Amino acid sequence: MSTIAQAGRKATDPLRPEPATVIEVIPETPNIKTLRVAFDDPAVTEAFSFLPGQIGQLSVPGAGESTFAISSAPSQTDVFEFSVMKAGVVTSAIHELGAGDPVAIRAPLGCAFPTDEWKGRNIVLVAGGIGMAPLRSLLYHLLDNRADYGGLTLIYGARTPDDLCFASDRDDWRHRADLDFTATIDMACSIWDGCVGLVPTVLEERAPSPENSVAVTCGPPIMIRYALESLARLGFREEQVYTTLERRMKCGIGICGRCNLGPKYVCTDGPVFSLAELNGLPDEM
Amino acid sequence: MRFITREKIQDLLEALASEAEVWAPRELNGSGGSIMFERWRSGDPIAFEGVTTLSAKDMVLPRTEKLFGFRYTAGTGNLLAEALGQSAGQPAKEKGEHLSIDPAEPVAEKVLFGVRACDAKALDVLDSLFNRADGSGYEDPGYRSRRAGLTVITIACTSCDEACFCSSFDNGPAEKAGSDLIFYPVDTGFLVEAVTVRGEKILARDEAAKSGQLFEESMLQPPALAETARVEGTADMETLLPAIFADLDFWERSTASCISCGFCTYGCPTCHCFNIHDEMRGDREGERLRSWDACMFHIYTQEASGHNPRPTPAHRYRNRINHKFSYYPENQGQILCTGCGRCIRGCPAGLDIREVMTAALAHARGQGST
Amino acid sequence: MISELAKSELSMSDLAAKISEALAGADLVLGWTASGPGGVAAPARFYEQAEAQQAVFDSTCVHNLAVHLPRLKERRVGIVAKPCDARAVNQLIAEREIDPGRVSVIGVECPSMVDVKTIWRRFGYGARIEDDGERLLVNGAEVERGKYTPAKCADCADRVHPAGEQSAAVADVTDETAADERQLRERFNAMSPAERREFWREQYSRCIRCYACREACPMCYCRDVCIMQSDESRWTGGGVNAGDAEMMQLIRVNHLAGRCTGCGECERACPAGIPLMLLMEEQNRVVEELFGHRAGVDPDARPPLLSFNANNDGWRKA
Repeated sequence: MSTIAQAGRKATDPLRPEPATVIEVIPETPNIKTLRVAFDDPAVTEAFSFLPGQIGQLSVPGAGESTFAISSAPSQTDVFEFSVMKAGVVTSAIHELGAGDPVAIRAPLGCAFPTDEWKGRNIVLVAGGIGMAPLRSLLYHLLDNRADYGGLTLIYGARTPDDLCFASDRDDWRHRADLDFTATIDMACSIWDGCVGLVPTVLEERAPSPENSVAVTCGPPIMIRYALESLARLGFREEQVYTTLERRMKCGIGICGRCNLGPKYVCTDGPVFSLAELNGLPDEM
Repeated sequence: MRFITREKIQDLLEALASEAEVWAPRELNGSGGSIMFERWRSGDPIAFEGVTTLSAKDMVLPRTEKLFGFRYTAGTGNLLAEALGQSAGQPAKEKGEHLSIDPAEPVAEKVLFGVRACDAKALDVLDSLFNRADGSGYEDPGYRSRRAGLTVITIACTSCDEACFCSSFDNGPAEKAGSDLIFYPVDTGFLVEAVTVRGEKILARDEAAKSGQLFEESMLQPPALAETARVEGTADMETLLPAIFADLDFWERSTASCISCGFCTYGCPTCHCFNIHDEMRGDREGERLRSWDACMFHIYTQEASGHNPRPTPAHRYRNRINHKFSYYPENQGQILCTGCGRCIRGCPAGLDIREVMTAALAHARGQGST
Repeated sequence: MISELAKSELSMSDLAAKISEALAGADLVLGWTASGPGGVAAPARFYEQAEAQQAVFDSTCVHNLAVHLPRLKERRVGIVAKPCDARAVNQLIAEREIDPGRVSVIGVECPSMVDVKTIWRRFGYGARIEDDGERLLVNGAEVERGKYTPAKCADCADRVHPAGEQSAAVADVTDETAADERQLRERFNAMSPAERREFWREQYSRCIRCYACREACPMCYCRDVCIMQSDESRWTGGGVNAGDAEMMQLIRVNHLAGRCTGCGECERACPAGIPLMLLMEEQNRVVEELFGHRAGVDPDARPPLLSFNANNDGWRKA
């Protein structure tokens, strides 16, 4: 994960955000909203591009800045999306925003999923809750380049049906013949007639083959831990497994010293890491 | 070598002060011996002896720095709004507020007089992250402009105390890296050596001095330099330290007295971790600030979810030592320590990083007990 | 819970025996060994009875080890404590922060501490300090003891010998008037409110927000969630600048009203030499005047500003 995707204009001041505007706010769950945003300066939009897995620093100046995965398709750059869970002061301020409100953005940051290396392979996506956000960007990229990849599997779970994001996307994904999609919730409930079970359990039931495959997982830390164990049981080697990590971040460009795992910075050497790489780093999860 | 008398130092600084801010060490009144870098003005005393309590790092990384100002202006969708709040190139809004971000403010030129070689070398170490000579990596405009506008006049050490250990890491009491001029104390003044072109320019400005030549030629020999303690056995520390990372028990025992304050980090000339925070100044305007932060604080890695990857002082100290002596060398090619000893002098709990290092290296080599 | 104060001629073998005894019922004992530079005392932890032999207690044992008790509250802990340290233990118990059943105090009578920090500032870090109770020697040469006695020791009301007499050592120290800190206190007491305001503005402008004061304070056990360092609440700005630092310091003083046990660790830890105890002691005096309360004297006392009393019978009539 040492290649940093060069996207757009090299910032002369990487701590200085670009003014942008909220185009639309889409409530996903009681505590998650997706913000569709666009840069104010057409030249910035012109120069902007990103790859799936990259992150951005979204700020409401005055409240602060926070890191989010870019959750929209990389093929779309005039408007792009962050999916934000309300957890603290900054995300609360973000949740107060409406269409037309100003924000400031530093993006793209971090390393992307190495999708070029994955060409010709089967991809298994394992997501929980808000962890679907970076994987959604990845999924769109894979679907936009469908012929380059083999089998495509998505297992996406949440605690309850209300906690599943991206409702309209899920409708589309359910009907695609080129994607094996399973949505699951932790415990049975009356309004859900789909799959029931914890994500790692469902993963082992579906038992995707590790043969010529890559698995990507993202979700709450505990889900990731169990998913990694499940993938190991299914025979996935550590070089075949990828995840994207979260950390308290500030600069997002690997200089404030905060988000490191050993000598690697989650904001620049990550947030995407293979399990092989993680196993070579100090355990500070 | 060139030579300047002690009396002429005031003249030199006055000449420099006419073009830049001059900063020099001074003991704070009634502080029980705290020496800090303070703005120097004509007639102010200078602490030539001893070493400052804090380093000179806030010349390039201020304790608090305004990254930029911003303002919200109400949108009305007409030309008046354009005139009031928008900068060129921004589309007019139909409703809602506009956000504008102020341009960066210029920084003052500074002359730093009376640093020690450990501080000057630390600037060189920080340059390898914030200001790479080859232009690779990220550019930090705030750091760069301050560094470019900073003249560093170092006084070499002819004595030291037991906390000093600058000889340990490719460094020493007269190390040149990071300095523009080096002064060597002798009986009646200082022998002076230029390290950079900027330093040579200062030596050449004799003609401007009001009381005649500032610098004379001298046949005096440079003085004997201080001999500091050394941390031994550090050759493979980059790989040895991570090898015992998982042994949290060792780290807990060897750092048990640590009370997890931030002094070691704040006093250190190479520690550079920072926090970014926004503050409003009224309803409409605000600032984004960058301030010193310390990996020793509990809140440093505290996540909004409540999870903290480094929940105890031992976890944090372990990271600090590894960052300084393994990760930073691996990433930037420099050791993140110049042996100045401030962390040792200032630690309220009596921790000595050299003792922890020595114990860690021995432990990693399978020798010695915890 | 607090074992009887040791005799004034505490021998190191007595101390080792007491630590050993405590270890029979504790996971570790907090104390000192002579492992600091130049042989001064450094904080240490004793886990095994064999380690107790290395324990020392002398006038360089300046640290208040009670600061570690909240982080160790899951364990059974012994602690070698000077009277001011023992007050901190009492206050932690009074505030229900630690469980008295899990703490055993080895009380030692204190000969008055020596201001190691100031000595090393003047004579260089690691200068050899020797104190035989009569003469104080630095690098082998005698120095004026009064100059290097912390103000809290000079005025200490807790070092009364168990028999009720003030020991000779206390009398000598309180006769000294040369201590810088006592002069400062006298100057401060003579200032008008406006002068005091200016004094603190200047002093707090030196604060670098390293939080050494907070981390050294046994009562600041909310250290990990301190509201003055939080990104979430905005009681103070986060900057390392005069105005924000002053606000942080004044909030800290307020939070310690009726709780500060006067151990002076905040001031000892402060790298900028801010005389933090001046304001703390002033506040402690006011609390004593209003409520008749001195923090840490009685572990069963209800701290007045942490208690609600509908009858207001905690107020003294002025």
